[in-house]
Amino acid sequence: MSDAAEALKLDTTKVRGGTGLDAIRDEVDEVLQSAFDTTKSAAEAFFESYDRNPNPKALAAWLANRCWREIDYVMLLNEQIRRYGLAYKRHHITLLAKQSFQEAEHYETVGKLVETLGGEVPTSVPAIAAPWSKFLWDSMDRHPLGAIAAWYASETSATGAFEPLFAGVERHGLKDVAKTYRQIEIDEKFHTSLGRQILSTYAKTDEDRAEILRAMRGMRDIAWTSLTPEAVAEALTA
Amino acid sequence: MSQILLQGRPESAEPASRNAGGRLLVRVLEVQREADGVVSIELGSDDASALPAWSPGAHIDVILPDGLVRQYSLCGAPEDRTRWRIGVLLEPEGRGGSSFIHNRVRAGDALQVAGPRNNFALGDAEEYLFIAGGIGITPILPMVRSVAASRRRWKLLYGGRTRRSMAFLDELTALDGDVLILPQDQHGHPDLPGFIGAYRPGVTVHCCGPGAMIDAVEAACQTWPASAIRRERFVASAKPSAEDEEAFEVELARSGTRITVPGDRGLLDVLEEAGCKIDNSCRAGICGTCVVRVLAGIPQHNDDILDDEQRASGTLILPCVSRCRSKLLVLDL
Repeated sequence: MSDAAEALKLDTTKVRGGTGLDAIRDEVDEVLQSAFDTTKSAAEAFFESYDRNPNPKALAAWLANRCWREIDYVMLLNEQIRRYGLAYKRHHITLLAKQSFQEAEHYETVGKLVETLGGEVPTSVPAIAAPWSKFLWDSMDRHPLGAIAAWYASETSATGAFEPLFAGVERHGLKDVAKTYRQIEIDEKFHTSLGRQILSTYAKTDEDRAEILRAMRGMRDIAWTSLTPEAVAEALTA
Repeated sequence: MSQILLQGRPESAEPASRNAGGRLLVRVLEVQREADGVVSIELGSDDASALPAWSPGAHIDVILPDGLVRQYSLCGAPEDRTRWRIGVLLEPEGRGGSSFIHNRVRAGDALQVAGPRNNFALGDAEEYLFIAGGIGITPILPMVRSVAASRRRWKLLYGGRTRRSMAFLDELTALDGDVLILPQDQHGHPDLPGFIGAYRPGVTVHCCGPGAMIDAVEAACQTWPASAIRRERFVASAKPSAEDEEAFEVELARSGTRITVPGDRGLLDVLEEAGCKIDNSCRAGICGTCVVRVLAGIPQHNDDILDDEQRASGTLILPCVSRCRSKLLVLDL
């Protein structure tokens, strides 16, 4: 990241779009903050347990869950474009497709990390990710902006894991993990900014806003649960 | 020249408080004619509670009954928390907001407002050059008062179509300072380069007014550091189409390298071809990853992520989508 980007850390919640979220801005920002905080705590707990017992397969399982999310996003984004995309401005279709491409790259690069650590790259929903995935797809079925709201919360929560991840892998000299996630960190700024812009542009009614908050709150409550040491331990014994 | 048109009209009092959407209900205290086509509106809270604080350059959103939202600069005294004052120019060719205010708003009326927000804050300098065109005087007036009270050096150039169309002349001429009142029908277009002069450290230009005036100020300040010029356009400049883009030069300050950016190429693309490695992701102006510091020149912002204050500062640019208004852009690369 450049000096300016590092120093400035532009606030993607302020991206220009429309006024669709204005009436619920405080609630949205509160959900995002709590999603960030809960995931940060879960990730810290995981890496503290990894410090006590640096089992590569545990880290592989932790990353495999995140790996699955990447490919699930690819499929979700393309379905979002298929179902609802032609109602969007054309540049939003392009940006959603660009995000999908990046998520595919993340699936590839995180997948390599999982394999290097002795794990298996998921090609179907792993049990640890099932509640997260189901909620995401159910949100899409409920409302045209449901999935976008859910993944906006999920992507934001994922950013909460970066700091503990970078600190944790540095302690164990896992440079490849750090390098992969540095790029993912950059891309997540784009993804969260796009999510915000799309929601603020296309949310028009109080019903839209109620669905957005429902999807965001629901995902906030789920996203962190698969990142704890307990969840990983259960995945390893399954 | 000012007349009080109408005094209060009996209405049931409504307490001023922020509603769920963050809006404030205020009461029109007074409407005054300030100049041809310009009225000032004083707003206050019903219960004499203090209005939110503001600093020179701030504006409020006025939400009109039909849902139109208009921004107006605060032009009263920041230290007076009992009332706000805005100045409104009648724009017959507009969408109806100013017509409504001129023709329908009366003392005693309740209005919904939001803010204040400040995207045009008074910078810290040793000497100030203020330039105002027409209704652009509204954010400049409290700036001039503030600087005059602090006894720093300042000059004001205030232009307008005619003297009768220029508001707040009495207040300005009462200030102890260098105030140039230049109605166009008497003096023609003002000599902006002559007023601004060459760049010298410690001087800051603050200007507000029509787009053509701001363009002229920017042209006169092309070689000034970006942080030395602050401007507020009352009408957003139209984004040029791809066919209208002009070439400009970009200088990488750390190496002194200069590169031409053709009209049909993006700045980030050209920088990358020249060997600059700039982190980026969306390449669409929404993520902010590629942000670069500007040392001189005037960015043309086409992004969606820099806030209004960051844009106005002229010290940052997102090269993936933005370009340059001046002939040369100097980047901290």
